[in-house]
Order: sequence, then structure tokens, then C-alpha cells
Amino acid sequence: MTQFIDYVLGGIGSGAIIALMALALVLTWRATRVVNFAQVGQAMFTTFIALSLQTLTGSWILALVGAIVAGAILGVIVQYLVLRPVKRMDTSGAIIATFGVLIALQAAAGMIWGGDSQAYPQPFGNTALTLFGREWPLSAYDLVVIGFAAIMVVGLTLLFTRTSLGLAMRATAFNPEVARLSGVRVSRTLTIGWALAGVVGAVAGVLVAPTSTLSPNSFDILLVFAFTAAVIGGLDSLIGAVALGIGTGLVLSVVSGYSDSSNAPVIALVLLSINLALKPDGLFGHNKARVV
Amino acid sequence: MLAIDDLSVNYGPVQALSHVSLEVPRGEVTAVIGANGAGKSTLMRTLAGLVKPGSGSATLDGRVLTGHKAEDVVRMGVSLVPEGRSTVPELTIDENLRLGGMWRSRPDRAASHAEVFDLFPVLGQRRKMRADTLSGGERQQLAIGRALMCAPECLLLDEPSLGLAPLIVTQILELVHRLAIEANLAVLLVEQNAVTALRVAHTGVVLNLGQVVMSGSASDIASHEELRHAYLGY
Repeated sequence: MTQFIDYVLGGIGSGAIIALMALALVLTWRATRVVNFAQVGQAMFTTFIALSLQTLTGSWILALVGAIVAGAILGVIVQYLVLRPVKRMDTSGAIIATFGVLIALQAAAGMIWGGDSQAYPQPFGNTALTLFGREWPLSAYDLVVIGFAAIMVVGLTLLFTRTSLGLAMRATAFNPEVARLSGVRVSRTLTIGWALAGVVGAVAGVLVAPTSTLSPNSFDILLVFAFTAAVIGGLDSLIGAVALGIGTGLVLSVVSGYSDSSNAPVIALVLLSINLALKPDGLFGHNKARVV
Repeated sequence: MLAIDDLSVNYGPVQALSHVSLEVPRGEVTAVIGANGAGKSTLMRTLAGLVKPGSGSATLDGRVLTGHKAEDVVRMGVSLVPEGRSTVPELTIDENLRLGGMWRSRPDRAASHAEVFDLFPVLGQRRKMRADTLSGGERQQLAIGRALMCAPECLLLDEPSLGLAPLIVTQILELVHRLAIEANLAVLLVEQNAVTALRVAHTGVVLNLGQVVMSGSASDIASHEELRHAYLGY
């Protein structure tokens, strides 16, 4: 039992990162009905930028800020690359285009920073915390990751529920025509959605990098987990993305603990298949035909 | 005054509006009536900036509206309540109203918000509830309220009676009539329900196959038998 609890707790940190990446996917989906598979590529690219900044300045925070700025800019660039040329097609064209952007970003990162795995410095201790006379499967860094994820989630919730920009973004997602007729600059609002997703993905990238290594392909598996969490969460729901992201982290940690970590991706895909077979709208989704 | 001059709109090879000219004075309701497919909604969507005209122009008090995007047209004082889906059901009543006129100053918006609640008390009582909990008539009030939040000088109403009970329709149209006079708005009302529309309108315009076939005082048009048989089908 103690072991089970340890495995569950050990999954919270990775769950928080999956939750952030799932949030990024949900943000672009809500804004433009496009699943942005390039999201992890953008995160990888901005994490490389952060690593360069970190090497240059030695400051973890400065590197994070750099990644956030780069994430916003890259989000806007990708939106233009993906949505402008295929505007007259249906969104499935744009989704395929995001795969193209992913491959291009990975190739570009390989050319700039090389294809080898690089270590991302650990900003805080990675040793297990000792509290109440026992060792916990969480490190100080895990707590930082969870803290950052919580700040992002609370910040986004406040943005969406308390600000005019958030209201404009929600209205644009639900009914762009009424939003335009109300004076909302819809295309600008959509671009802000992509920039925001880029920021969230960039934070997830910088947070996850120290727990493994950084290479052009090192976040690919994160895409599988985040996509699983976002889809099971309903794709439309921020709460769903966070809940299922953390849930996915826990399940994968338990699976890895009792069997082998290489089974984790298979389990994620099995969960995704079960969800699509039983409840394709996701647990938190409300994609049913809207009554008007 | 809203002035429409020689406006034509094409959807591919189909001409939806052909050389439409009409004037909508301030403080009056002008009703555009006609059968399905006459081009009524196209006229409204073109005026609101959702559809680009092929030729011709529309001006409000001399300022050219055509060629501007919908989000700019509304800033110029033209507010459209589109047919049917004109609220955001997933948002609360307050949020639907706050959506209108975000570019305006906070005190101005607060004043409009209070005015809308005066006009439609039921919205004020249920401000925290989602719009999809409202009845059809209340939803239409909310849609008009959202349009009023944009501080319009010209109000475009596309089939406000659609799917509503006759009594509710009368209430809403009488309110529109009052609004036009009290707030000195230029109101353009599109209706399939000609009898009800002409009852509250000052001027009537009959549209058929994208062309204006007749315009005149609402009472004249309402009593014009041949016209009724030919274009309005009753």
C-alpha cells in the first residue's frame, strides 16, 4: 500500500507537466478548432532557446522568461504558417499542416543545437524530500513544477472568467459571429489564443527538461500523453485538460512502478481508445449539438 | 440617417441584391418585408459588414459603412441583431451584455448595462444565469440588449419574431418602436411576418428577388391588396 501511495505521489510532478501541455492543446483547439501537433515541437524549440540563455547567463529564471517570450512569438508564427495558407480548406488541412511544422521545427533544432541529448541543469534539489520521519517520492523540484502548474491554471482561469480579454476569447470560441457583431476583434483574439498556448507549452518544456534530457525529439512522448489527456478531458475543457493531465501522470507512474516505464505509452493509447469507444466527447466535453 | 445607395451583392453567380436603394431616417422604424430568399438577410448582413457588397454603398450620417469589417461597423454605430443565434448560450446574461461594446469606456458601458436592465427587467433578475436558461422571448430581449450595449445609432433587426409567440412578438416590436423614437435610432426591421412588422413600422419596403419593388408609408403598403397577393402571399 505504501508503495502504491509512493507511485501515485511520484506521478503528480509529471502529471502537472502533462496537464500544462494538454492545456496548450486545448487553448488552440478552443480558439481555432485545430489540434496543434506542433505544440511539443514549439515547446522543444523554446526550451532549447532557454538552455542557450541558461548557458549564457546562468540564470534559470531568465531562461524561463526567455522561453515564455519565445513561446508567445512562436505561437503567433505557427498560427500564421498553419492557418493562413489553408484558410479556405477545412481544419483537417490545418491539422496536417501542424505535423509539417512539428517536423520542420525538429529539423531546425537539430541543425542549430545538434541532434544529441543535452542535459538541462536542475535549478533546485532533485533528492527526495524527508518529512515526518520518512522519505517521500517527491523532490523540491517536483513541488516547484506543481507550483508553476497551479499558478498557470489559476492565472488562466482568472483570465478567462474575470477579464474582458477572457470573455472575448470565450465568446469567440463559442460564437465568432456574435463576437464580431459585438465589436470583438476576432482574428486578433484567435492569435492571442495561439500565443497563450505557446506560452503554456514553453513553461511545460522548461519544467520537464531537467527531469530527462533535451533533444529535438525528446518531447514526442509528451505529445502522446498530453493528447490523451486533452482528448479524454473533452478537448474543449480547461478543467478537463488539467484533471486528466494529472490523472494521466498518476496512472502512468503507477503503471511504470509496477511494470516497466516503457509500457506507459501503450497504456496511454489504450486509455485513449477506450475513451473514444465509450465517450468520444470526453469526460468534460460538451460537444453535443447546441440548442439555440 | 442610414442611406443605402445602389447596393448589389453576389454570391458567386447568384445575385442576392440588385441595385437596392433606400433611406432609414432617425427616430423611425423602417420595415423590409418579402418572401423567403428575397434578400432580406443579405441586406442586413451586408450593412453589418459580414458580407462584402459587389457594388454600391451604405452610409450612416454621411460616414461610409461599406468596405469596413463587422467589428469596425459596430464601432461606427450600426448594431445588428442577427437572425436566430444571436446570443452566446454558454455565457451568462451579464457576460452576453458585457460582450457588447467592449471598446467603450467603463462608465459608459455601466450606464448602458443599467439601461438595458431597465428596459428588460427579467434580464436583471437573472443576470448570473446562463443564456440558454432563458425562454425564446427573453433570449431575443438579451440579443437586443447586447446590441444596445454597443451604443448604436442605427439598429438592424433580422427576423426578431422568428419562433416567438404572437404576444411576445407584439411586445418586442412595440418596444423597438418606442426605442426608435425615444433614443432617436434609425431602425431597420426585417420581417417575414409582414402584418406585424407593418403595424409598428413608419415606412415599409418590399423586397423581391433582391430588388426593391415598392416602398412607402407602412399603412399604404399594408392596405395594398395586389402587392400583398403578389409578393407577400396572403
